[in-house]
Amino acid sequence: MRPAILALILAVPWAPLTAQQPAAIQPPATRGAADSTGTTAQARTGASAAAAPTVEAAEPAPVALQPAAMDSIRELIARFRRDPQGVPLPPREQIAMGGRTIAAGTQVQGPVAAAGGPLHVYGTVNGDAVAIGGDVIVHGGGRITGNAVAALGSVTLAGGVVGGEMRQLGGAIGAIPRGATATESRVGATRHAVALAASWLVILVLIGIGVLVFATSYLDGVTESLEGRFGRSFWAGIAAQLAIAPVLALLIVALAVTVLGILLIPFAIVAFILAVAGLITLGFLAVARVTGESLAPATRRGYHAQGAALRALVVGVVLYMGLWVVASAFAWAPIVGTLLRGVAVAITWVAATAGLGAAVLSRGGTRRPSAPVSSPAPVNDLPWQTPTPVTGVVAARRPTPSSSSRER
Amino acid sequence: MSSHSPALLGYLVAGALIAATPVAAQNWRSLDIARQLADSAPTAVNVVYGTGTFGLRGSSSALLYHMRLRYDASRTQPRHSFDTTGRKLLLGVQKSDVRFTGRSDNESGQLQLELSRVAPLDLTLDLGAVEADLDLTGLKVSRLHIESGASDGKLRFDSLNATPMSVLEVSLGAASFRAERLANANARDIRVDAGVGNVELDLGGQWTQDIDLRVEATLGVVTIHVPSDVGVRVSLKKLVASFDHQGLIERDGAWVSPNWESAPHKLRISAETTFGKLTIDKTGR
Repeated sequence: MRPAILALILAVPWAPLTAQQPAAIQPPATRGAADSTGTTAQARTGASAAAAPTVEAAEPAPVALQPAAMDSIRELIARFRRDPQGVPLPPREQIAMGGRTIAAGTQVQGPVAAAGGPLHVYGTVNGDAVAIGGDVIVHGGGRITGNAVAALGSVTLAGGVVGGEMRQLGGAIGAIPRGATATESRVGATRHAVALAASWLVILVLIGIGVLVFATSYLDGVTESLEGRFGRSFWAGIAAQLAIAPVLALLIVALAVTVLGILLIPFAIVAFILAVAGLITLGFLAVARVTGESLAPATRRGYHAQGAALRALVVGVVLYMGLWVVASAFAWAPIVGTLLRGVAVAITWVAATAGLGAAVLSRGGTRRPSAPVSSPAPVNDLPWQTPTPVTGVVAARRPTPSSSSRER
Repeated sequence: MSSHSPALLGYLVAGALIAATPVAAQNWRSLDIARQLADSAPTAVNVVYGTGTFGLRGSSSALLYHMRLRYDASRTQPRHSFDTTGRKLLLGVQKSDVRFTGRSDNESGQLQLELSRVAPLDLTLDLGAVEADLDLTGLKVSRLHIESGASDGKLRFDSLNATPMSVLEVSLGAASFRAERLANANARDIRVDAGVGNVELDLGGQWTQDIDLRVEATLGVVTIHVPSDVGVRVSLKKLVASFDHQGLIERDGAWVSPNWESAPHKLRISAETTFGKLTIDKTGR
């Protein structure tokens, strides 16, 4: 695009090509008319404040264009045809390259178009008048019944009349980028999304470490609650989610009915939101820890208890947040990216819900699940057994001297 | 556990959601639209603008309107149409494009609009997250309706509206809004509905008639500046809200200024506020 515009500017040095900021549409009160010779110098500068002497104007010669400039202009015309803000153009061979003048007293059926030069209107155009890479200048006595459109140029009223809209297009001309042009930025957007998701992963790991260091017992409590009762925790989590708004409303009403409580309402709202967010975070970290323990048990490696907990937590958080990183990595592919995001949302929601439920059931980790009522532990009798049969042993008869021998 | 860690999960999920959203390329364009003024018939003007900077002012040129729009074509599409029969003018961007993208851009859109001071205008402004400067000085506005989501808006009438305005309505979401010299609007009925935000209404200017001002505010601070020679009567319904009524006296269930009976012009304020604050400043500003 840039070389094309450069070529155009070189070929038409006096044409007001202002790609980024086209000159404002100038009403007759503020912009002078073109002089009687029809040159565009004054129209370009707007120096003349006098009314146009009108009518018979010498036709300005079209600008001679170099072949390279012609190619650039043709490209610009093609872009204009695809631009949503453009108007229908006549066939290619009817577009005046280098500029055109509609002479006074003549009527031309629109659309009329010029490219790479100005379109001077002294007569009447029944329809739209378009200048691509040039100005539309409507001189005194000139009339355009349709729209006056300038792409990378300006529309100037120099005593004439435009029945329709005066429109100037600046900046990028062409179709709205959906494909090739968007690809480059999609790469950037994907990179940005991945970096952001990865950053949040790191942040959550850091939060987990903080919780492990400063609130281990609470995390242990929620974890234990979750390990034994996952299903119950999940349903409790759903109930908790549904109850958040009503409980907050009840809290506000309860405070409002008291005199002193009214002053506490703003603080109560903030505290409630923080408490809910804290429970969700604690629960999610507990789910991550349980997941990590199940996927990568550390018992065999002889980790210290804290080290094992940290390892499990990091593995779990990386797993859950990894889903988001992967989903972000496919941001460039709308369908796959959306599917992956859906999966990540679903899994994260289940985890957060179960975690919230466990946090609620364990009162934020302060209450451990009650030990199940069990039968008395079996007593190992073996150490207490003696080789003596329960039923007893027949005692051996002590050998005693027989009476006969005594008699002897 | 750290007191910051709970909220972070929320930010985390929200951030990840935003991060995973595919974003189209930026494609900045400019569009100038104008139309010659053919007559001075009344015209209904509807402006829709989502995000960026919005400026509106009157123009003495021979144009009915002149819109200068700078926009990102990958996100928004301009809207401009004029029904010559029904005298309905639609300007700005497509309604569906008024959305919050969640991305901070180095560049922002811009809409500068000039309207004719000749034709009476029924003006409706539908704004999203916009920094708006609405200078309606010299315009003939027969009705004004401003609806804004999250904006920082300023409205002013530096001279008397040549056309009596049937109603001036302002509906704000989360916004900071300041209206200057509202008496020059020449409106008998002014209604302001504010959600969360700071609303400042200066009723200075040329008083040609009594004004009924209805204010509804939730979680907002509303300050009303009234000239000292204007009589004020405030009827207020409030819930967990404060009312700064300095210089007013309570009478018949309302608050009135001492000059209520003798004042050449009267301002009747009907206010409802919840979790907010209403201040009447009658220091003659």
